[in-house]
Amino acid sequence: MSALPDINDDLYIPQMGRIVETYPMTQREKYFRLELDRPLGHRPGQFVMVSIPGVGEAAISISCGPRDDSVLEMVVRHAGNVTGAMHRLEAGNYLGIRGPFGSGFHLEEFEGRDVLFVAGGLGLVPLRSLITPIMRHHERYGRIRLISGARTPAETLFRDELKAWNALPNVEVIELVDRTDQLPWDGEVGLVTAPIARLDLDPARTLVALCGPPVMYKFVLMELGMHHRIPREQIFVDLERRMKCGVGKCGHCQINSLYCCKDGPVFRYSTVAALPEALA
Amino acid sequence: MTAFHDAAPAVFDWLRGLARDAEVWFPQPAGSANFNFERVDAHSQLSFEGYRPSIVPPVKRLLPAREVMFEFHKDADGRYAFQQKPDAGLRVLAGVRPCDLKGIAEMDVAFADGHADPLYLRRRANAAIVAYACPHPCDERCFCGSTGAIDFRGGADVFLTPDGLTPDGDALLIEAMTPRGEQMLANAGLKVCDDAKTIRERALARRPQPFGRQLKATPEALPAILAAAYDSPVWDKYAERCYSCTTCNLVCPTCYCFEVQDEFDLDGQSGCRTRTWDACMSPAFAEVTGGHNFRAETAARHRHRVKRKFEYLTDKYGMGSFCTGCGRCGRQCTVDIDIFDMVNDIVEQAGGNAR
Repeated sequence: MSALPDINDDLYIPQMGRIVETYPMTQREKYFRLELDRPLGHRPGQFVMVSIPGVGEAAISISCGPRDDSVLEMVVRHAGNVTGAMHRLEAGNYLGIRGPFGSGFHLEEFEGRDVLFVAGGLGLVPLRSLITPIMRHHERYGRIRLISGARTPAETLFRDELKAWNALPNVEVIELVDRTDQLPWDGEVGLVTAPIARLDLDPARTLVALCGPPVMYKFVLMELGMHHRIPREQIFVDLERRMKCGVGKCGHCQINSLYCCKDGPVFRYSTVAALPEALA
Repeated sequence: MTAFHDAAPAVFDWLRGLARDAEVWFPQPAGSANFNFERVDAHSQLSFEGYRPSIVPPVKRLLPAREVMFEFHKDADGRYAFQQKPDAGLRVLAGVRPCDLKGIAEMDVAFADGHADPLYLRRRANAAIVAYACPHPCDERCFCGSTGAIDFRGGADVFLTPDGLTPDGDALLIEAMTPRGEQMLANAGLKVCDDAKTIRERALARRPQPFGRQLKATPEALPAILAAAYDSPVWDKYAERCYSCTTCNLVCPTCYCFEVQDEFDLDGQSGCRTRTWDACMSPAFAEVTGGHNFRAETAARHRHRVKRKFEYLTDKYGMGSFCTGCGRCGRQCTVDIDIFDMVNDIVEQAGGNAR
């Protein structure tokens, strides 16, 4: 071959991160706070590959905003071998970490704009990496709206933070559950699509960030299209695929011609609107 | 660069000589009608005759079916130490046909793109390639003359061209293509040739025209045709008889998708992470957590494979189609699904001949 490119021989080698805090957030989701050897240096919306040697590796969203210290926050649903094994770990145990990987959001682009977040279920976890830094400096942004939905009150995540954000000026948080299951609930009942029609959005000023289960995107985008004429370039979707390498090689996460791990997982809707495999 | 002109036996002597210091791989008969790239030793009987594309393409010597990515060991405090054992062996892939040469060049680009893959690229850097220009199509499945791969010369260190003066082409033009090729040939004792161009042109002139099967559209026209054929019934037509056995992926010279798996040693403290070939034709390939499968239908997987070879990667890398036209997938398919037929059906449905 002509010329060897710059090669990182450690591309597939994880760094060790120590679990300093972990607790169940719901029956299926567990919170992890890790201390790494050095700052992760990530952008909102990026992900890491988490390893338990002997069990395997899985792509996990980063749930904290950019930070100067060496902390990494994640919320992990027990869904497979690796995440199942993660649920059996406790503080003091170690996890292997590679990354950060993926496109992510660019915070600068959000400054001065109105922002609408739509989070379905576990979608709040990756979006939190963008929500947190925006809420911290909410004065730098216009109107901030966050719609967060869960199936039942028992499955809601980060409720304390949602309430604290709702108390900020120019911020409105709408919490919903699909059904209350006879549990106490002070939010709304319905799907995350329900409040979209009534929102007073300025299409020119608003950036939208969506994350949720595959089935959610189509319906949220339909509602947005029907009631608000927000250009597709201003809507970001944060997509999920199975990833084995995280670096655009293993092929599992391909969305037609794009790699979710490298070209995404955060895409402008204008980029993926014409890709039939993007939004289920 | 130096060129030589000598009899095939002298070239085989040279290759057997190279095998003293490096792994030399050359296509040799496997079973009654097949070939595979096998190790050459001092006694190997080498020949260019009767060749059909090896079942597994030579590039897979650089991308093994299973390879250890790293080994790990758990310390007393629960941290893990990782250790890599780079594969630094020198390899010579010899008798590589132009279709496979193009396949290797395309793998080089795909693995170097973005985060460069150290495992493939380190192995590739230590591999020399001795290519061989086909004087005629290997069999009725080839369509390298239609994808443009037949004329591909990039990435070879040495290029062999059968002279064409005798029907079995037993004299060869031997051209050094790189400094490494020059070095490999330095002490070969082959007869120097100062008119490589004439011999090359003579061989070219004797090549049958058209060379093998011809697609009904050029590689340049296919991306647009395929982009417009997303909902074509052609995908279903072939999916009906497909078993999703994934052979087409496994024998393809430009398929590089992989699966990653960890293995534990019996001590429970150490083990290794391996990667193995995977296949987009496998039903669960695009399944995500929660069970949603983005390519649950066989037809969707066929479409993905064909578009990847003729549209997605063509657009992305600008190297022409990622299908080289080697014909392996059709040749090995249990139910005779040939990517050549699928593409031609799509072209016909799009309004016929676009050559």
